[in-house]
Amino acid sequence: MIKRLTTLMLLVVMICFLDTPLAIGQSDQTGQRRVTGTYVITNATVITQPGKWLTSTSIVIKDGLITDIGQNVTIPVEAKTISGDSLFVYAGFIDLGSEAGVKRPEEAEKPEHYDPSNPPNEVAGITPERSVLDYWDVSDGSIAEWRKAGFTIAQLLPKGEMLPGKTALVVFGDTKSTNVLQESTGLFAQFETVRGVYPGTTLGLMAKYRELYKNAELKNQHAKLFTSNGNGISRPEKDKSLEAFYPVINKQVPVVFEANEELEIRRVLKLQEELGFDLVLMDLEEGSNLSSELLAANAHVALSLSLPDDKAKEADLEEATEEAKEAHKRVVEEYDVALSQAGKFEEAGVKFGISTNQVKKDEVLKNLRLMIDNGLSEEGALAALTTHPAAILGISSFAGTIEQGKLANLVLTTDSLFSEESKINYVMADGYLYEYDISKSNKVAGDPTDLVGEWKYTAETPGGTSAGEIRFKESSGNLAGEIDVDDPNGGGTVTRPLENISFDGKKLSFTFSIQVQGQKLTVQSKGKVEGDDFNGTISIRDMGEFSLTAKKTPDFKF
Amino acid sequence: MKKFNLTIYFLLLLLFPVCSYGQIEGEVLKPQNGKFLLKGGTVVTVTNGIMENTSVLLEDGKIKAIGTGIDAGDATVIDCTDHYVYPGMIDSGTRLGLVEVGSLAETQDYAEIGNVTPNMQALTAINPNSVAIPVTRVSGVTTALSVPSGGLFPGTAALINLNGYTPDQMYTGFKGIPMNFPTSARRGRWDRRSDEEIEKDAREALKNINEIWERATTYMKLEDADASLTYYPEMEQLAKAVRGDLPLLIEVNKAEDILKALEWIKEKEVKKAVLTGVSEGFRVAEKIADAGIAVITGPVLALPSRSSDRYDAAYSNPGKMHKAGVKVAIRTSDTENVRNLPFNAGFAAAYGMGKEEALKAITIVPAEIFGVDDHLGSIEEGKSATVFVADGDPFETKTQIKHVFIDGYKIPMTSRHIRLYQEFLERNPGLEK
Amino acid sequence: MKKMRKLTYIICSLCLIATQHLGAQTPKGNVLIKNATVLTVTQGTLENTDVWVQDGIIKKVGQDLSASKDAETIDATGKFLMPGIIDAHSHLALDVVNEATAPITAEVAIADVINPFDVGIYRALAGGTTIAHGLHGSANAIGGQSITMKYRYGTRNPSDLIMKEAPRTIKFALGENPTRVHGQGKNIQPRTRMGVEAIIRNGFNEALQYEKKWEAYNQAKGQKNSKAVPPAYNLRLQTLADILNGEIIIHCHSYRADEIYMLINVCRDFGVDKLVFTHVNEGFKVAPELAKYTMGASVFSDWWAYKFEVYYSTAYNAAILTENGVITSINSDSDELIRHLYHEAAKTQRYGGLSDEQALALITINPAKQLGIDEYVGSIEEGKQGDLVIFDHHPLSVYAVPQMTFVDGIKQFDINEDKDDQRLKVSPTERVEPVYLQVEEESCMHGVELFTEGTVLHHSY
Repeated sequence: MIKRLTTLMLLVVMICFLDTPLAIGQSDQTGQRRVTGTYVITNATVITQPGKWLTSTSIVIKDGLITDIGQNVTIPVEAKTISGDSLFVYAGFIDLGSEAGVKRPEEAEKPEHYDPSNPPNEVAGITPERSVLDYWDVSDGSIAEWRKAGFTIAQLLPKGEMLPGKTALVVFGDTKSTNVLQESTGLFAQFETVRGVYPGTTLGLMAKYRELYKNAELKNQHAKLFTSNGNGISRPEKDKSLEAFYPVINKQVPVVFEANEELEIRRVLKLQEELGFDLVLMDLEEGSNLSSELLAANAHVALSLSLPDDKAKEADLEEATEEAKEAHKRVVEEYDVALSQAGKFEEAGVKFGISTNQVKKDEVLKNLRLMIDNGLSEEGALAALTTHPAAILGISSFAGTIEQGKLANLVLTTDSLFSEESKINYVMADGYLYEYDISKSNKVAGDPTDLVGEWKYTAETPGGTSAGEIRFKESSGNLAGEIDVDDPNGGGTVTRPLENISFDGKKLSFTFSIQVQGQKLTVQSKGKVEGDDFNGTISIRDMGEFSLTAKKTPDFKF
Repeated sequence: MKKFNLTIYFLLLLLFPVCSYGQIEGEVLKPQNGKFLLKGGTVVTVTNGIMENTSVLLEDGKIKAIGTGIDAGDATVIDCTDHYVYPGMIDSGTRLGLVEVGSLAETQDYAEIGNVTPNMQALTAINPNSVAIPVTRVSGVTTALSVPSGGLFPGTAALINLNGYTPDQMYTGFKGIPMNFPTSARRGRWDRRSDEEIEKDAREALKNINEIWERATTYMKLEDADASLTYYPEMEQLAKAVRGDLPLLIEVNKAEDILKALEWIKEKEVKKAVLTGVSEGFRVAEKIADAGIAVITGPVLALPSRSSDRYDAAYSNPGKMHKAGVKVAIRTSDTENVRNLPFNAGFAAAYGMGKEEALKAITIVPAEIFGVDDHLGSIEEGKSATVFVADGDPFETKTQIKHVFIDGYKIPMTSRHIRLYQEFLERNPGLEK
Repeated sequence: MKKMRKLTYIICSLCLIATQHLGAQTPKGNVLIKNATVLTVTQGTLENTDVWVQDGIIKKVGQDLSASKDAETIDATGKFLMPGIIDAHSHLALDVVNEATAPITAEVAIADVINPFDVGIYRALAGGTTIAHGLHGSANAIGGQSITMKYRYGTRNPSDLIMKEAPRTIKFALGENPTRVHGQGKNIQPRTRMGVEAIIRNGFNEALQYEKKWEAYNQAKGQKNSKAVPPAYNLRLQTLADILNGEIIIHCHSYRADEIYMLINVCRDFGVDKLVFTHVNEGFKVAPELAKYTMGASVFSDWWAYKFEVYYSTAYNAAILTENGVITSINSDSDELIRHLYHEAAKTQRYGGLSDEQALALITINPAKQLGIDEYVGSIEEGKQGDLVIFDHHPLSVYAVPQMTFVDGIKQFDINEDKDDQRLKVSPTERVEPVYLQVEEESCMHGVELFTEGTVLHHSY
């Protein structure tokens, strides 16, 4: 009896082993896997949603879900504690238009004798059937960077031309997971065309769009007819591009249309009025004066976080003529108008979200602060990061606020989110915790000795790959260098001195000139230095930019 | 709808002296030289006021006499009652004769390859038989400066009268060296360089010019010292500008650049210089006047250079500069429509310059700038018989130009445009064959 | 009493809703212009006459008129009043001019790419031009649908610039431009004038086929238990079918006499009589044909020799066409010329001796006829729209300076009151305003540089 029991126990334990999640009894030689999926944040100021503050509150998270919030919560035994004293907790930010980790698909191969006036859909940039997820690298470094900026959920925008494909919703969680929340959240469209083929301009694009849409509607009709009454109806020819429109036609999914400027917005609204699709406008830089039209069309809005730089506004007018001063007044006016767009949208009642694909991660809070200085309320700014995009994406039931039962996406800051000194200390995404260093960093000016030495470079140009050497020398604090390049006038290599060398510890730029057929060409190069690696580009004015990478040959000291 | 209007037909006869001169159909017309008396018209001398009821005697290619009661002798008399006699108009910036069909590279002869090519002579490349020449001269524009374009020093421009079968027959005594001053403006809306790039390009170009000018100065000094020099045609020609034999025609438009150009002229002690283009001259008119440099500007019928400019900036430019004391000549910068010169002057007049000054800007002022005022630019005894007769103000479009004389030759008042008009006004066969 | 108030309230709100639904009802103005020399164009010249515009329409033309209180009174003693100038060929204020990637692009619409912020619109108004035909470029044998625009400057909404009453128009192009862009540039038809005709005929024939297919489907689907399946939708062929059904006026860019003659015959073959030729430099050689079979010709005043196909032109073109009974207009095809079309028209008095009436008609009633809007504009007559220009001299004098321009009775330009900088939109990052040495004028070949390397095509100084 005991023997049978033991065997039974053994079996049960084994079954338990089979069933239990990887968290128990799995070895990880990198030591990276977390020990527990349960956390408690104690005694923090929790902003559950814009305008609602809870002080001295704790949050319990278990396996990706918020299980408890309150001043007195039961702390589970297996919980890792994060002291929330003097920390502020916000709902994780939601990005309506992100390109983090998204790769550009390879350029479509042009068939040999194709007609540029009637090209295959791929060549013309018409690929609405593609999914951005097929071009998304979940382990891409930029995802971690955006998470560091507080973003936990993002709608990914596919890269391409006129109709690059379908958008998808992902969470910035652990790389072991697929992190996919929703596969197809929208059909992405933009005013981009492929040079030299039809459609080549906005004119052709708009006409083509109308035609594709109408034909999709007709094909949809035809397909329905065929399935419902298969006898006597001709077989509908498969067209994956047109079929990609069906969910839009059936109002299951909106069109996500990129439109930065007022005229572009109006053109999209025109198409929407004619064809009747649900619309999310993406990356708006202006257009608050169109608020009533937007509301009437039921169009959702994602405001781009990009703002014009202030170089013109702050220009020194000491030596300017009266005329120039007058003209400058107008520039300042326009600058102020641009910064006040967010506030004006709020005033008009447009519940906009934001998109990050046009800015760098350091600009997010900086630009939001500028918008707040120019009319946007702090609540409105937080809503744009959380509740509004959740509503637009239809995920308010599990995201956008800090409530029991919602996904554990949180941002923990050292101070109120929009204050100047505030730093993001922790981000929790999909229940995984990430901690960030908030100590003051010292700015180090570029140390020339980092560059001194020999670098072997490779350059990818349309003419092919070329390789050679770059050598940096230092004398009395001044950096000098030279580069070996293939002689464009014929065999052999030439050595050219480097000019205009600039290095701040990370960014390096320089120029050199070369004689080609009697003409002097100036080549500019810039890029980033990380340790022994240089990653950058070379460009010759008007001829485009090409990749230049280099690796420092290690100095051997005897 | 076939229509034959007798009135129009007779009006045409009046308009074309060719017809009323007993023209035999099919006869080819040639310029005629000889003695002509332009009798009893209003003579607009430009330099000596307007003389009513006055006659002008043309003989041996010159204006022999101006006055009342001149004896005709064996001169052909042209009755100028109710008509006006003007000096031939001078267009101080064109490509006339240097291109035939604008879009066909084979016919373009105004821009040679190379950045420093002042030795390229426009004069010898001018096509005396260009179809545009008769089209131009029947409008009363008798003289034009044909200017090369292209690099920094594109060539040597030449002043021609629009009559003659060889360039030398047309040449009327002036050559100049155009120079395209480095510009910090955008070449056009397709110019997508950044502000920094443009400034840098301009600085480098200025440095380049200074080096070249230095070289030309050295060449001149050595030449003057009779040193033996290896063949260097570009410097040889440029040395003439350094020496002051030939003036520099400096093309510059943006206000900032104009000031830089004036500075450069002063710094290099350029002996003879004229600014051309000067579309933003009104912004710096006083400085140009202070420097005492003459200006050739145009076309007047042009868009303002800046989007923030008042809409009539180009129309009022010549007038504003003139008011500030600048010597202003007007050009069309055209080739096949040099005939629009009087209309450019008309707009300049209407937008501030006034009729009198606008007329001077296309007659005596360019003549003085080019140093040919001894024989062109006004109606004075002893000057060249280069005049025209009109039935009204030549700036007005309603006015018909009746007779044109160049260097004493009476020009046939025909051109391909007119011949096509004559053939097709009433086509035969018409609709039905 | 309460019921009445409620009723009034309902009626008022209904009215409000109604006006909202009328969409972008462009503003209309009231003005009384007194004591001018009125050049009506269609009914002679009236001295010391008043013109009263109410709600954007010319209400009365006569002497000693008095207007309603809300009409500004302008004393035009000693001044000349003429109808707003109409330019039948322009590319001003358009973000894109050519969709040059296919030889037939009838499906594209210039109305999609209007840019109301172009300061060139104001500059045209300062030259008396109130209406312009915004055209697709001339890169394609059959280009896109054009749009007749009223220059209501100051609006941010491109639809406000559209003249709603104007009929549909479309651009065709013959000769060197389409053969250079497609034949030479991309090695696809057309490469020769023969090819241009073939492409146009192909387009029309395919459109007829397309129309038949849809007619068959529409008939069949109405029937019981229909198994009819919709054919593919083709916006291009649909537009071509609309041309064949007389719904769209063709404006065809052309130069040589033989190609003009060719298109006249093609249109006759297909029963298309809404045909206007534009540029048509050699139109004078086929003037009788143009007079008999077309809606007219829109020409330059004196441009020639910039391409080979205009080498054999004459400035007397407009005069010859007019004398032969062709409805002739003078156009600009240039952001610069559009500002002084009154001067361009006046050139026909030098080149051909046209009368004042004939010359003025070239920029008013004639282009109105060619655009199908002569019912609304093009002359000063009671009932027509209040598009007017006041000049200080007779407009055909070179010294004429436009003083005020009205569109729909609203003053759009006033030489004495307007400020210099008329830009609507300024870039917030512009450190130094760009100065352009050669302000590129929108011309027929804008945007085709990719296909036509080498020669400069736009007429430039």
